[in-house]
Amino acid sequence: MTASAAVSVRGIATGAIPRTGGGAGHRVRRVLLSIARPISIFVPVFFLGTFFTFLLGALSGRSPAALQLGDAATPEAVAALNQQFGLDRPFFVQYADWLGQLFRGSFGNSWANGVPVATLLGDRAVVSLSVAGLALVIGVIFGFLFGVLAAQFHTRWIDRAITTGTTVFSVLPPFVVGIALIAVFAVGLRWLPAVGFVPIQLGFWPWFSHLILPAVALSFDTVSDVARQLRTGLVSAYRENYVTGAQVRGLGPQRIFFGHVLRNGVGPALSVLGLKFPALLGGAVLIESIFGLSGYGTFAAQSAVTGDVPSVQAVLVISIVLVVVFNLIVNVAHNRLIPSASRGV
Amino acid sequence: MTSTSTGPLGDVVLELNEVTIHDDLADNELVHGVSFTLRRGGVVGIVGESGSGKSLTCRAVLGLLPQHIEVSGGTIELLGHNAAALTPKQWTGLRGTSISAVFQDPASYLNPSIRVGKQVQEVLRVKKGQSRAEARRGTLELFEAVHLRDPEAVYRQYPHELSGGMLQRVLIASAIALEPDVLIADEATTALDVTVQAEILDLLASLRARTGLALIVVSHDLAVVAQLCDEVLVMKDGAVLEQGATRDILYAPQHEYSRLLIAEHEQYGLERYLDSPAALPELREEELDYA
Repeated sequence: MTASAAVSVRGIATGAIPRTGGGAGHRVRRVLLSIARPISIFVPVFFLGTFFTFLLGALSGRSPAALQLGDAATPEAVAALNQQFGLDRPFFVQYADWLGQLFRGSFGNSWANGVPVATLLGDRAVVSLSVAGLALVIGVIFGFLFGVLAAQFHTRWIDRAITTGTTVFSVLPPFVVGIALIAVFAVGLRWLPAVGFVPIQLGFWPWFSHLILPAVALSFDTVSDVARQLRTGLVSAYRENYVTGAQVRGLGPQRIFFGHVLRNGVGPALSVLGLKFPALLGGAVLIESIFGLSGYGTFAAQSAVTGDVPSVQAVLVISIVLVVVFNLIVNVAHNRLIPSASRGV
Repeated sequence: MTSTSTGPLGDVVLELNEVTIHDDLADNELVHGVSFTLRRGGVVGIVGESGSGKSLTCRAVLGLLPQHIEVSGGTIELLGHNAAALTPKQWTGLRGTSISAVFQDPASYLNPSIRVGKQVQEVLRVKKGQSRAEARRGTLELFEAVHLRDPEAVYRQYPHELSGGMLQRVLIASAIALEPDVLIADEATTALDVTVQAEILDLLASLRARTGLALIVVSHDLAVVAQLCDEVLVMKDGAVLEQGATRDILYAPQHEYSRLLIAEHEQYGLERYLDSPAALPELREEELDYA
C-alpha cells in the first residue's frame, strides 16, 4: 500500500522534471549544433576538394623535368629530379605527404624554380584578397543601398532608374568596365593611379587609391545582382500579412522595415552573395592583368600554362577553403535571420 | 455564454457616418455608405459574404486601406479624432494603443522569423517604453490572460510551431497588449475548428466584460455574430442591406438577403437536427424525393 503510493508519487515527480530542466539543456544543444553542423560540412568538402585537386595534378602528366631541364634532359637527370620532388613514390603516399604539408601551412616547392610555393603566393594573395575584399565590401554596401532604395520607391522613377541601371551594368564584362574606368578616372581626370599596387605599409591612401579602380570594376556585377535580388525580396516581403500585423500593433515604418521586412526579404540577396564570392576570386584574373597587379589570378594562370602543378594546387586549395568558409558564413547568417526556412547547414 | 445583454454602455469610441470607399485605379465605388456607432463595451457585428466590403470597412477604420483605395465620402471618428485628418505618424500612434485588430489566418500576421513572445514583447517595449525584462513579464501575463497553457514555452516558439488556436490567442495577446479601446475581429474564428472557435469567442466576450473593450466582429457566420453582438449590419456588394439590434434581425429579418442568410443557416446548421426530433424523418422523405 505505502510502497505503491511512493511509486506513484515518484512517477508524477519524474513526469514533471523535464519541464524545468528543458530550457538550458535545449539552448546548449542548439549552440553546439550550430557549431558542429558547419564543421561537419566543411571537413568532407575540404577532403574531397583537396583529393581531387591532387588527383588532377597527378593526372596532368606534367613533371618538373619538363620545366627545369629542357633540352638537357637525360633519363638519369629526369629520374634524379623526380626523386628530389618525391614523384617516384606511390600516388597515395605522395597525397598523404602533401596533405601533411598542407596542415603545416606548406604547399611544397615550385617546379619552376624550387622556391616554396607559400613564399611565391604570400604577397600575391595579399594583392588579390585586397581587391576581392574591397569589391565585396562595395558590392554589399551599394547593392544593399540600391536594393533598399528601389524597394522603398517601388514602381516610382527611382526604382525604374535603379532597375535599368543594374541590368545594364550586370551585363558589362569587368574588363570593359575596367578599361572605361582607367580611361575616365586615371587618364582623363587623373584622380587615381591606372595600374600597380602599393603595400599598405607605405601608407593607407597609396594602398587604397591603387585598389579603388580594380575593386570597382570587379564589384559591378555583385552590386547589380545583390541590388536586384534585395529589391525583389523586399517588395515581396512588404506584401506579406505580417507587415499589416505589425502596422496594426502600432509599429512605425522604420521599425517594420528593419525588424520585420529586411529580415525576411534578405534571403535571396544573401544567397547571391554566397555565389558571388567565388566569382570575385575568379574574375580577378582579368582585372589583375588590366590593372597590372601581380596577384593570385595571374599567378594561377601563369602556373597553369607552364605546368607548375604545386602552384596550381596551392591556388585551388586556397580557393576551396575561402569559398567553403564564405558560403558557410552566408548560410549561418541566413539561418539566424530566417530560422523557419532553415537550410540545415 | 450569451453577451447580447446590453448593460450600461459607455461613451462613443468610434462613429462611422455614411462612409464610402472608392478604388481610384478601377474608378469603382466598393463600399456605399456605412454608418454605425460603437460605444465603450459595445459590440457591432458585420455580416456578409466575401467581397461584400466588410473587411475594407475595417481596413478604413484602421487607416490601412490598400494603395489606390481610399475613403471618398463620409466621416470616421475614432475617439474624437477625424480619421481623414490624421497623419501617418498619428495613425501609428493610435494603432495598437487605441484601435487594434485580429484576422483570419493568424499565422500569416505574425513574422515567421521571430519567436512569438518576442513579437508581443516588441510592442510593449516600443510603444510603452518598457525594459526588456518588464516587457517579457508583461507578455507572459498577457499569454496567461488569453489562456495559453505554459506561457514560458509558447514565448520561445516560432509561429510555424504553434496551432491555429494558439496563434489566434497570441495574436489577440499582441492586439490587447496596449489596452486599446476598439478591437476589430475580422473573421478571427473562421479558420478554427468549432471548439476552438467557441473558446476564442468566450475569450473576446470576457475581455469585453473585464476591460470595457469595444468590439467590431466581422464574420460570414451568423452564429458568431449572434453570440457576441448587440448590433448587426448585413452587407452585400458594398451596401448595408439591413442594420439593427441582433435580436430583431435574427428573428424578424426585413430584407430578402438577411432572410436568405438565416434560412441557409437553418438549413445547413446543426440546430435543425437538435431542435426537433421530427426533423430527421422529414429529411429522409426529402432524400427519397430527390432520388
